[in-house]
Amino acid sequence: MTDILIQLTHGFVACLSPVHLTLLFFGIVIGLLIGVLPGLTLVMGVALALPFTYQMDVTASIILLGAMYVSGTYGGAFTAILFKIPGEPIDVPMLWDGYTMGRKGKPAKALGWTLVAALGGGLLSAIVMVALTEPLAKFALSFSSPEYFVIVMFGLLSVVAIGKGSLANAFISMSVGILISAVGVDPIYGAPRFTFGSPILADGIEFLVVMVGAYGVGEVLTRLETGFATQPIEKIKNARTELPTWKELKEVKGMFFRSSVVGDLIGLLPGAGATIASFVSYGIEARFGKRRKEMGTGVAEGVIAPQAAATASVGGALVHLLALGIPGSGATAVMLGAFMLHGIQPGPQVLVTSAPMVYTIFASIFLGLFLMCAIGYLAIKPLIKILDFPEAVVSAYVLTLCFIGALSIRNNITDLWLIIAFGVIGYGFERLKFPIAPLVLGVILGPIAEDNFMNTMISFSNDWTVFFTRPISGTIVAFTVIVLLLPFIQKLRAHYLATA
Amino acid sequence: MKLLHSTRSVAGRFAVFLAIALCGTLFLFGGKATAAGYPERPIELIVPWGPGGGADQLARLISKLMEPMLGQGIPVVNVPGGTGATGMAKLLASPPDGYSMAIYIADSHALLAGKTPRWTMDDITPVAVMMKVPSFIFVKQDSPFKTWADFEKEAKANPGKLKVATLGFGSVDDFSLSVLAKAGINVVQVPFSKPSERYVSILGGHADALYEQAGDVAQFLNGKQMRPILLFGEKRLDRFKDIPASYELGYKVALPQFRSIVVRSGTPPEIVKKLSDALKKVYDSPEYKKFMEDQYCDPNSWEDSAHAPAFVKQQLEDMKKTLATN
Repeated sequence: MTDILIQLTHGFVACLSPVHLTLLFFGIVIGLLIGVLPGLTLVMGVALALPFTYQMDVTASIILLGAMYVSGTYGGAFTAILFKIPGEPIDVPMLWDGYTMGRKGKPAKALGWTLVAALGGGLLSAIVMVALTEPLAKFALSFSSPEYFVIVMFGLLSVVAIGKGSLANAFISMSVGILISAVGVDPIYGAPRFTFGSPILADGIEFLVVMVGAYGVGEVLTRLETGFATQPIEKIKNARTELPTWKELKEVKGMFFRSSVVGDLIGLLPGAGATIASFVSYGIEARFGKRRKEMGTGVAEGVIAPQAAATASVGGALVHLLALGIPGSGATAVMLGAFMLHGIQPGPQVLVTSAPMVYTIFASIFLGLFLMCAIGYLAIKPLIKILDFPEAVVSAYVLTLCFIGALSIRNNITDLWLIIAFGVIGYGFERLKFPIAPLVLGVILGPIAEDNFMNTMISFSNDWTVFFTRPISGTIVAFTVIVLLLPFIQKLRAHYLATA
Repeated sequence: MKLLHSTRSVAGRFAVFLAIALCGTLFLFGGKATAAGYPERPIELIVPWGPGGGADQLARLISKLMEPMLGQGIPVVNVPGGTGATGMAKLLASPPDGYSMAIYIADSHALLAGKTPRWTMDDITPVAVMMKVPSFIFVKQDSPFKTWADFEKEAKANPGKLKVATLGFGSVDDFSLSVLAKAGINVVQVPFSKPSERYVSILGGHADALYEQAGDVAQFLNGKQMRPILLFGEKRLDRFKDIPASYELGYKVALPQFRSIVVRSGTPPEIVKKLSDALKKVYDSPEYKKFMEDQYCDPNSWEDSAHAPAFVKQQLEDMKKTLATN
């Protein structure tokens, strides 16, 4: 343990060199901007930055990419809370409590909570990452397709179950999302599905197009309907970031810890990443949290759960990359590319042979978290001023950003028509009281679920019982069933108590 | 190469910048390309895969080494998607003037053996084959299968029991396994399009073996976590003297993962020759030799513009052959 601390201290010293600090700063700022822009996800941002790192040494390039990765999980909360538009897929759960809290006149408070959640979740997972790199990496290896599949199912079902409206509508919405995700060439056998002979459809519909369309364009359409006269949030003069008080923090420390651990663990699994972490964490809180009944009405727990888990997932994903040499998320896959371009193969031996580099990277994550929160803290004040602008003007900018985001996905003009189409669909869903989140989540998680389901069926000769008989998978299934049935059990119990 | 499948939809934003830059240069230096003064402006190098993977690394290295030789910039443009099909569509949409070339690899080539390929051999002209990387069957270090003979015995005793992780159906991996199947070695092919999941399946003991190129799993070979048991090729390699080659066991299959440079058909032959000559100099440089060694390449990978088309065509024939007699 002392050995680790000494190494980490050396890492901090190496991190404080002017070059590394400058890169860390730029990485954080760029990551925040990427998080804020809907349509430009952190994975794309990291991929975009990769070619610029070719001239740097390997430690410097990983510091830059790692900083972007960390702050990219945080920036999107701003747009979610202020404009009801998720900057990243991970910010969809932020709309339920974060945005609501903002509408209740406390946007600065909501942003303060996300800041604390990102810092706390990130720090906890960074500590776990440094202390337990190898055992965690070994644990992650025991997961395979059946486990991934049931985790994804848990994410999908919990978002259906936690909605406030009709369960049937949420289920229909999710099914439509999964159907949309099925468009394109099937990933296992290469059969074209719903492509109607069009090469664009053969490449599938990007989940970003659906997300940016349904939320971004859809939201602007909704505002257009009211003539851009949404009840303005009570004017905040001299708005300051409102950090939660110690007393408030103490009340949520249990769930704070729980969310961070969930995020860290999910980050460990390849293919899952921050989005599933954020949804699953919110789902758990909405079922088991102390204030589960108030979730969705703008409570702090609803802001902390997704944010802490999303930022915590970064640590988990990095463990997987550094200790196994296997990228657990899109962003770490790009980082693996950066390592390989410099002739370094991450893996168990890297922890031994390149310890100074690994600990410099660890230290940069710690420093990056603090730097990110400092920048976030300072940014909140000017950003809140945007709420004072006329809504029509802000909407025009939002629309422009949505279009830029959609075009940048694959430089295809058809995607622009698609986001308009999904904007209309999103608006229609909103009007007809179909929730949008299950639709978007269905599109994001549908392909992951399909891949892992098909792989399980192929590897276990179509034996579907493996989902229940494998120990880890079975445990998650049991947990999912409990989560789904809990409200009915509670209702029955209430009924029983009332009649008895 | 298969490294960045996981980020293949993470399109190249960088491509936008470069495209804008290129449009600018096109505007300035427009006009018909002639072989005499070629190249008069930057030549774009399309990578139909995401940044960071094997194809991308090759492209970056070529760009770096070739720029001073030609006296022009060689910007790398990542256009991922559709197992390389999206990037190829971009190449085929550019004029055949030698100012657009693409990295073309066996995984994309395998699409041509499928039912409805989006391009054919007539659409492209191979300029040079830069690397040929043999594939192996790997097992976990502590696997009960000490040698290929152990594996073969088990597969014959219990057909359809052993699991081999591959890139997917219709891929080069699939073609090679189908040749084994004809020899009575029936395994279950488990397709993992993401390399991360493919490697976890071996390290976590979820699959019995892995079809892969050695360079892609070098970290696991050096870390003593995986070992090869069978090489797909005609002869054994010096670096793996004890590992039998498929031909000596009677499996007539050796589909290497090749990485080549192609341009659109109709590009003037003088230009193709010029590019091929420059690439030969790249190939002979010490930096490139080191790269080839790290990737466990066949030391005789090079094919120039006179021989590359025949090689690439032959590969397709070999792939189709594995399917035809299935």
